[in-house]
Amino acid sequence: MPTEQNWSWNNAWVRWSVVSLVGLTIASLLVGFVWLPSQKADFAADGLWGAICRAAGVPTSWSRPSAAHEAAGTQVVLDRRMTHADDAVAIGRGATLALNCTMCHGALGTSSSNAPNLAGQFPEVIIKQLRDYASGARASSIMQAMARNLKSRDIDDLAAYYASLPQARTAPTTYDESLPKLVRVGDPMRNIPPCIACHGQVDQKIGAPWLEGMPRAYLAGQLAQFRSGQRRNDGEAQMRDVARGMTDDEIAEVSYFYARKAVAY
Amino acid sequence: MLAHFWVAFVAFALAVVLGEWQMFVRSPLHAWISNPEHYYRSVTAHGTVMGYVMPTLVAMGFGYAITELALKQPLIGLRWAWGGFWMLIAGTVMAAATTAAGKASVLYTFYPPMIGSAFYYLGVVLVVVGSWVWVALMLVNLRAWRKANPGATVPLAMFGNVAGALLWFWTSLGAASEVLLLILPASLGLTDTINAGLARVLFSWTLHAIVYFWLMPAYIAFYTIVPRAIGGRLYSDMMGRVSFVLFLVFSMPIGIHHLFADPQVGAGFKFVHAVMTAMVSIPTLLTVFTITASVEIAARLRGGRGPFGWVKALPWDNPVMLALALSFVMLGFGGAGGLINMSYQMNETIHNTQWVTGHFHLIFGGAIVIMYMVIAYELWPQLTRSEPLPRGPVRLQLWLWFIGMMVLTMPWHLVGLLGMPRRMAYYDYSHPDIAPQAWTVIASVIGGFILLVSAVLFIAILARPRRTASPAPFTFAVSTHPDAPAPVALNRFGLWFGMMVALTVVNYGWPIVQIARLANAYVPVIPIGSR
Repeated sequence: MPTEQNWSWNNAWVRWSVVSLVGLTIASLLVGFVWLPSQKADFAADGLWGAICRAAGVPTSWSRPSAAHEAAGTQVVLDRRMTHADDAVAIGRGATLALNCTMCHGALGTSSSNAPNLAGQFPEVIIKQLRDYASGARASSIMQAMARNLKSRDIDDLAAYYASLPQARTAPTTYDESLPKLVRVGDPMRNIPPCIACHGQVDQKIGAPWLEGMPRAYLAGQLAQFRSGQRRNDGEAQMRDVARGMTDDEIAEVSYFYARKAVAY
Repeated sequence: MLAHFWVAFVAFALAVVLGEWQMFVRSPLHAWISNPEHYYRSVTAHGTVMGYVMPTLVAMGFGYAITELALKQPLIGLRWAWGGFWMLIAGTVMAAATTAAGKASVLYTFYPPMIGSAFYYLGVVLVVVGSWVWVALMLVNLRAWRKANPGATVPLAMFGNVAGALLWFWTSLGAASEVLLLILPASLGLTDTINAGLARVLFSWTLHAIVYFWLMPAYIAFYTIVPRAIGGRLYSDMMGRVSFVLFLVFSMPIGIHHLFADPQVGAGFKFVHAVMTAMVSIPTLLTVFTITASVEIAARLRGGRGPFGWVKALPWDNPVMLALALSFVMLGFGGAGGLINMSYQMNETIHNTQWVTGHFHLIFGGAIVIMYMVIAYELWPQLTRSEPLPRGPVRLQLWLWFIGMMVLTMPWHLVGLLGMPRRMAYYDYSHPDIAPQAWTVIASVIGGFILLVSAVLFIAILARPRRTASPAPFTFAVSTHPDAPAPVALNRFGLWFGMMVALTVVNYGWPIVQIARLANAYVPVIPIGSR
């Protein structure tokens, strides 16, 4: 039976193991946190302690947040509860409130003007856009003025009403090789994901609008605004990233594709 | 035990089919898959089965077998073991069904802020909790054995087995806390936001050491099955123990090398983790040396002569010998690739490219899984009361697995160097920049097909054992000095487990606390398939 003790400092295995591990740890900490940072100008700029903090991953800010930049982004957090809006009272209230919207969006949520179709739109989409208009995160002289006076409940009720209307889609679409390439598979080499990854078919992501039957001019206009950065209420810059790489022809192509099933009233 | 192995291998065969399908639809042989969602569903299922279900079941089944065969005592807690097994099955079915329904295409690495259905995560949690039952049983059984044999040296197979169990327990805590504290609340709709950076750091806690948990059964087989099966002796029992405890200490607190490109972790910690990752090469090289020396003993016992001439004297018709050689070749290539992955600077060239996929398929799917196959072949006569499995088909199956894996992964390494990203449902091979790479994807499809044939052959061999009334008793390898007692430090785990925990605190403590306290690290959840 061995006489040595497992936890004793007299046990050479314990002594050597602990000393080597501590030595290795200290040596690698010194190299990683002191020596290597001292060789890099941006790490060493704030002295030794600053370098250690940066190496430890303490965040630093290189730019001062400007008021304009902060205000530009959306503040809306999408919540899955927003996606369920089928309360009859809410729909009724929303229908009354929606009388204010008929001039551009049509009596039943679709119109031949170039305002977007709202019939059958997902409720969280309408909630998010109205809140963004109200906060100024999305710009429109008409819509900002309209949205500013809406209470939170009004917005929810409008969303419930429009969601309850039948969608403008008129013909079943088969998602096969006949779809435009950008819609179906995107362009991986340019980091453009396919439209249908978020706007229905592959996946309908929360917050992504129903596009079919939208006016062509509206779609093309919004894509152009995303591309130029003029519109920036997409929370994670996803639409700006998509549109940035698109050519005018491609914008025209996908806008035509989503608009071609529009029905004129 | 038999149930564990059967479920593991059937799931494995199905996942191989998925893998080959993924390779095929992504290749120029097939038009672009119109719905990449199907691809990601398949990848999620393939990864979940191959990463969680199959290796966990093999480790558990092999662990129970070792307990009975090496400790020579009946398994204590048999009913608990069945409980753990059924939890694992229930978890697998839950996760698989949710994935198949398109509610959880988040890949087996979870990827917050993408969030799938809660059922998927609950399924994975059940798998892990089921495996904790196994961890507890291994400790209980070892304790009982120690009580019955005071002061005796724990057999090497059981020592490695318990080292693997302890490693798994500690390493699974990372992903378990990620799922329980961050992902499930988001998935159940209790929170709108998730600390994605923290989630990734916690997952990295599990992500690397899980590989060593996968690897433990293979290493136990290297040390305790191979020398016996080829008629030699284990060169050094102590070297085996040193390797196992070094894996225990160093394989876990090093996972941040998976986050070299993550901005939320500081460069200092990345460097420290790179250094510690390099330490893992030591037990690996120790093992390669010891096993090669053991093999040389066998060759010299068979009359091998000369500094290299003994290689010819090895029993090459023995499937275990063949598998060992093939495994070492794959371990060599995979290990060399791994050294590039863990190097902070060189990693930049191949980070998130197809190289990484090539690396872990070669080292896990190749070097380790081929040893799982050996374990199954060696245990089968014992488990099914049959004669040794036919050598010819077994050798063919092992060769096919090796060739398939090399043909699959070598092109991946190449295109990874050229910059092909991993986890893509399709590539535009008509684009002039990547058109020259199209052949490599076709090569991988062929490799995948060979693997599929091999997997089917594997199942076929296992399904038709020739029964016998008196199977040969199973034995483990004997070392060159079988009666020498191991130093007490290499007979117990306290010291090494303590060092592992201490190193975890140093290497992970600050990054976790710091990121958890960053208010602006919380980002909106992106639900997958919630409509």
